[in-house]
Amino acid sequence: MATPQKLSPVERIKLSSDALRGSLKESLTDEITGSLREDDQSLIKFHGLYQQDDRDRREERAEKKLEWLYSYMIRLRLPGGLITPEQWTGIHHIAGEHSTGTIKITTRQTIQLHGIVKTHIKPTIKAFNTIHLDSIAACGDVNRNVTCSSHPSVSALHEEVFGYAAKISEMALPKTKAYYEIWLDEEQLLNKEEEKDPLYEDRYLPRKFKIGIAIPPDNDVDAFGNDIGMIAVIENGELKGFNIAAGGGLSTTHGNPQTYARLASMLGFVDTEEKVLKAIYEIMTIQRDFGNRSDRKLARLKYTIDRIGVEAFKVELEKRCGFSLEPARPYTFEFRGDHFGWSENHVGKWYYTIFTENGLIKDDEKIALKTALFEIAATGKAHFRFTCNQNLVLSDIDANDKDIVNELLVKFGIDQHTELASQVRRNAIACVAFPTCPLALAEAQRYLPSLISKIEPLLAKHNIDNEEMHLRMTGCPNGCGRSHLSEIGLVGTAYGKYNLHIGGDRVGERLNIRYKENLDEQGILDHLDQLFEMYAAGKNAGEGIGDFAIRNQLVQL
Amino acid sequence: MLPGSKLKTLQELIDGSTRDELIWMNGYISGLVTPLKDFNGNGQNGHSTIVKKISIVFGTETGNSKKLATELAALAKQKGINVKCTGVDQYRLSDLDKEEFFFVVISTHGEGEPPGPAKKFYDAVMARTTTLPHLRFAVLALGDTSYPLYCKTGEDIDGHFIKLGAKQLLPLHKCDVDFEKPAKVWFDKVLSITEKGESASKLAGNVQAVAPKGEKKIYNGIILTHLNLNDRGSEKVTWHIEIGAEEPVNYEHGDAIAIIPHNRKEVIDRIITLTGIDESKVVESGKHKETVRVLLTERLNICYLLSSAIKKYAVITQQEIPDTRMDLIDLLRIYPVKNPEQFEEVIKVLPVIAPRLYSVSSSPLVNPNEVHLTVSRHAYLKQEEKHVGLCSTFLGDLSVNSAISFYVHRNRSFKLPADDKNVIMIGPGTGIAPFRSFLAERDARGATGQNWFFFGEQHFASDFLYQSEMQMFYQTGVLNKIHLAFSRDQQEKIYVQHRMIEQGKELFEWLQGGAYVYISGTKDPMSKDVEKAWLDIIVHHGKKTPEEANAYWESIKKEGRYHKDVY
Repeated sequence: MATPQKLSPVERIKLSSDALRGSLKESLTDEITGSLREDDQSLIKFHGLYQQDDRDRREERAEKKLEWLYSYMIRLRLPGGLITPEQWTGIHHIAGEHSTGTIKITTRQTIQLHGIVKTHIKPTIKAFNTIHLDSIAACGDVNRNVTCSSHPSVSALHEEVFGYAAKISEMALPKTKAYYEIWLDEEQLLNKEEEKDPLYEDRYLPRKFKIGIAIPPDNDVDAFGNDIGMIAVIENGELKGFNIAAGGGLSTTHGNPQTYARLASMLGFVDTEEKVLKAIYEIMTIQRDFGNRSDRKLARLKYTIDRIGVEAFKVELEKRCGFSLEPARPYTFEFRGDHFGWSENHVGKWYYTIFTENGLIKDDEKIALKTALFEIAATGKAHFRFTCNQNLVLSDIDANDKDIVNELLVKFGIDQHTELASQVRRNAIACVAFPTCPLALAEAQRYLPSLISKIEPLLAKHNIDNEEMHLRMTGCPNGCGRSHLSEIGLVGTAYGKYNLHIGGDRVGERLNIRYKENLDEQGILDHLDQLFEMYAAGKNAGEGIGDFAIRNQLVQL
Repeated sequence: MLPGSKLKTLQELIDGSTRDELIWMNGYISGLVTPLKDFNGNGQNGHSTIVKKISIVFGTETGNSKKLATELAALAKQKGINVKCTGVDQYRLSDLDKEEFFFVVISTHGEGEPPGPAKKFYDAVMARTTTLPHLRFAVLALGDTSYPLYCKTGEDIDGHFIKLGAKQLLPLHKCDVDFEKPAKVWFDKVLSITEKGESASKLAGNVQAVAPKGEKKIYNGIILTHLNLNDRGSEKVTWHIEIGAEEPVNYEHGDAIAIIPHNRKEVIDRIITLTGIDESKVVESGKHKETVRVLLTERLNICYLLSSAIKKYAVITQQEIPDTRMDLIDLLRIYPVKNPEQFEEVIKVLPVIAPRLYSVSSSPLVNPNEVHLTVSRHAYLKQEEKHVGLCSTFLGDLSVNSAISFYVHRNRSFKLPADDKNVIMIGPGTGIAPFRSFLAERDARGATGQNWFFFGEQHFASDFLYQSEMQMFYQTGVLNKIHLAFSRDQQEKIYVQHRMIEQGKELFEWLQGGAYVYISGTKDPMSKDVEKAWLDIIVHHGKKTPEEANAYWESIKKEGRYHKDVY
């Protein structure tokens, strides 16, 4: 930070936004367009929405003298990803009335709705508010949805750890009342002191900020892919505190060698709640004060830490905290997927994890998943919890109610759908990409299912279809689908073209490495066929395909 | 005065009559009496009386009749004649009995209909049974020879005046769309009457009444652009069609383009097969002498024939056919012709295809060699609409590079005011067409007046016609305000008049500030709802009683600040 550089345009927008208000109210009344004024397009992200358009339709609409088909994506703030059956029912209706109808489970344990037109934004947010849900800070240069290992059966202390997700989310919430004024028509704040924000000040963070909490042995949150990865330390059935790692981030930019994916660096262990929250808070203030505000591509915490150096960062953190971090405690990650099907926790509550391909909840020709979930919610017997692998857990079901829920699972074929899906399909992740994501270079969620249908026979051919395998696809190198942290990663480079990455481990502790570039479908299948053949012939017992690739130096670390 | 017996008879007659009958008798008797007096008067005054006072009335849809009536009035005034010139919609019908020299300039529209503002007058004249013995009159009828019922309104009024005992000063004078020259001829005759009195009518009677024909400038164009403006998922189809001509097209903003649609090839194929006629045989029908196929495709109307045409068909084929309207193809199926020769006779009496008028949506300042049209495809829902759909289907089926011929139809009553005046435009649906032309015109002229546009359709996402162009006009300051009503984007239906009411305060301020108001689109219910909204706005924001609001609105009209182009 020696020479102050010119601020990026977004920085100026934030500073002059009157605490994220901008001209959003005016933008909403511009009847002539479905889009927002330019600055407001940046600000609305802080309110949990993205302006998007149907990119498939641009050319045709331009010819018809129509503007692009703008709509908005809204993402909820759901720390830990848990909601009540009543809330699910509400979401079901809101999706039907105001959006495309499809509910998308994201890779960060929340849900988002797409295709909301401008005039429907306010009604949507108001409807969410009536069921006590909001989208504050679900996007934008702030702390995003805090994720937490989803499956309660992994630990008796799940509830306690889960509590941290909510507390951190609360602590890192922007103080501005803009959301309530703009969307919920609350009265304008007269005393601006009330929304003074010591954490974000008036400049917010330089870039998005992600926090994930893992409960070993599960690492379904991909803790090291977060700006702050927290690992619960449980000894003798007691939560002792957290190992805290910082500086993870998976997004890169094609052709910009200064950008890279990075795993979070372990900083150390912190014990009490007060100290844990303080440490998290101060990591954010360091990023606020030291992060790059001139080049958004180099603004994530990972670049800040590498610029300062991990040790110097830790020194600054301890100075701000007023206490030292202890050395990290031992832990082991064993599993990163979801625990599909029925399971029971330590107090006899039941859970059913449903396979939700790419997190899409809708009724289609194969399965009426949306209707099924609506009926299950109507029984009021199960809570809904979302996983970072884009799946859904029906949770906290009393033993007495298990049959009621199971009957509906059977009635709609959800059990078969979940239990018969192949390993590779169940563990796969795809981001949204086309047609709505403005960053997408290639297809992802619309394409991956059909590609997997072509990969499955190859796995069967080499007799490795029962191996746990994590395949992830993103339509661009920004990494929403965490493709850099998978055993097999497909990263879109152009329409119909992907880079093939291999060499990641099974539990998310090693990034993968680019193996081939710009492959079309046939190229992908040909290379995977070769890889599968080598792997089937040469793997050690229990060895994942990523580990195999490294051991055989198919890619160089 | 009457002897007892006559008085008794009269009293009995009066007692046994309704009020209407009495009114009729009153008129009848006065009609019986007046000519006697008139003849006496004439005898006393001699033949060379110079006319001191005349009335000219006009019935106009597009402003042409008004323009001619005003021209004639000016000429007469130059001669020192006292001229009363007024629109028939402003004309007090009871004044007819007092008129002596009465000149009517009136146009005909659609299928022989009077212009909208003249409907009341026309109906009243046609329903009148009381004689008009004082009245001396002449009618100048405007029309378009391309329509089957050419100049019908003028014809009807002329005929009915004669029936009521009025004296025809000049034979009915008909003008085609290029009316300037023939109208001048008629003006001269009218003026010579005012110089010489009635005797001039004899002279006039010898002159051919038919206007010179073939002066209408026909342009041969090709389709440059042809696309549906509505997006996928819309219930509407609205074609944006750009027609290019080899030479500059002589048109102005607000004008219309007349297009003669062709009948569909499949239908003609079926008619030819059904009748067994030789399609290449040359036949003469009216003023056209061409092959059967060309006649049937390009010249003759075969859709939803008028009952008059069906009667002729019945005579030729010697069949009993009820008084109805139907397509030729159905007629041929249900009441077949005996042989090809008989069908040839039918072809000779078929009416010509009427041209369809479309408001131009371009400005000659921007596109001098082009005209743009905005055409909505009509759904074939009702039998009545079938004939309306022919042209829009014809236009919809055209593709880029197809040839198309057209002529310009002037619309003088739908023109922008001076460049510094403010303009309020209300044009939902294809009503947007002339306003796209207006905005382009004002943009090109650099007009300083403000422009406010109200548009409506079903859905914002799919039906906002010319959205990107309107955004450009808005961003560049040509369009100062725009309000939109998308009826089906929410539970309750919202139309332009609702948006107007919302903006009532400012609309009234604009009106007070001298703004000009234009409405384009469907007559019913849109234009009526919009007019009602205006009155509501004037009552509410002008703090006026409904009567005062009406008067205020009338004054706006009188000042020429209210213009309609509705259909």
